[in-house]
Amino acid sequence: MTSQPLGLNQALTPATAEHRKAFETKAFEILSQKFEAAMDPRDRWSLTAIVPGSRLRECVHFLRDDPAMRLDLLLDITAVDYLGYPGHDAARYAVVYNLRSQRFAAHRLRLKVWVEEEDPQVPSIHDFFEIANWQERETWDQYGIDFSGHPDLRRLLNHIEFTGHPLRKDYPVRKRQWLSTNDPLILPLEARLEANGFVVLEHVAVNSPSVEETDLLGKSAVEKINYVEKAK
Amino acid sequence: MGAEATTATLATSAGSLEPPVGALHQDAGLNQTFMTTTIDAVVGWGRKNSLWPFTFGTACCAIEFMALAGSKFDIARFGAEFIRFSPRHSDLLVVAGTITYKQAPILRRIWEQMMEPRWVLSVGACASTGGFYDCYCTLPGIDEVIPVDVYVAGCPPRPEAYLDAIIQLQQKIQDASYMQDRQNRSHERIQIG
Repeated sequence: MTSQPLGLNQALTPATAEHRKAFETKAFEILSQKFEAAMDPRDRWSLTAIVPGSRLRECVHFLRDDPAMRLDLLLDITAVDYLGYPGHDAARYAVVYNLRSQRFAAHRLRLKVWVEEEDPQVPSIHDFFEIANWQERETWDQYGIDFSGHPDLRRLLNHIEFTGHPLRKDYPVRKRQWLSTNDPLILPLEARLEANGFVVLEHVAVNSPSVEETDLLGKSAVEKINYVEKAK
Repeated sequence: MGAEATTATLATSAGSLEPPVGALHQDAGLNQTFMTTTIDAVVGWGRKNSLWPFTFGTACCAIEFMALAGSKFDIARFGAEFIRFSPRHSDLLVVAGTITYKQAPILRRIWEQMMEPRWVLSVGACASTGGFYDCYCTLPGIDEVIPVDVYVAGCPPRPEAYLDAIIQLQQKIQDASYMQDRQNRSHERIQIG
């Protein structure tokens, strides 16, 4: 018998209801034994395993590399703010990891980690999945979850002068925040070029990361804010 | 040709803003070789028929702009087909799409880089009002940042709405007085100096 091409593995576990159920049962059994996982009763459609934050890294590592799991595709990292959620008695935030397999179509599950309001910290998994770098940055930007061990935890979507975390439930719905000047993109770009072995011959005098200083046009921060009024 | 005739033609031309730009002289025995008009009418006529758009397209409104620039709707009929991607080449800023607070200073800077005279078209619900993005990140209308000449309704607007806006803008350009602007600018210079 000739060796089967890779694609046939998917045919062995197609994403039908019974295959998914079988995977979820097996996966939860392993996770609860190895990583003290609990099942999330809020999830009525598929498996969400609640894992303690201290066990998260080894759990993700196991799920990615175990030949029976092969959850090697991190679809998304996001968070949930349970402030004011009816009947909620656990921590305020949850960080959610959506995982699935590129090899077995039926393999998909969510991991959930409770995060306390006082110290919103979760270990970073950027070294297991490259994409987690930006996903964690986005989650920090929008929810203020601190991913410990992250190499570069900056805002991803909101601008540099933004204060607060807009997807938290206590962020005022109509609160808008002006940006007075462009995000400084040239300086990081030049740094990246130099890190890759290029030589920057002439540094462009752009606005520095500190918005208090003057920008290209030599305006102070106060004057820059005024462009909003001048247009009217 | 007498001086009275010239003055009369100028007066009519300045009073009415309709093309044709001047009156063709048939009565001076010069075989229709010249016509009289006003500087305002000629400059407006030239400007309105050679708009060079710069597209600041961020969303689906920009897709409609592509339809407009294509052969079916064809803004070349209005002399505005020469789409530039440098603000220094263009005099019509077409803001087509959602503008966030993060983009607002960029939009402002691009507008500042355009030469006078310049006009701004605010296309669609998002650029005009923020649309349904009533949230922390979206600018509630680009007129918070730059002055707008014509707003186009729609989400996104059909190309016909674009064309209507360009025709309205052409009327606005024709109505503006170049000589008056010039006078105002020289007054400003004198006051500053």
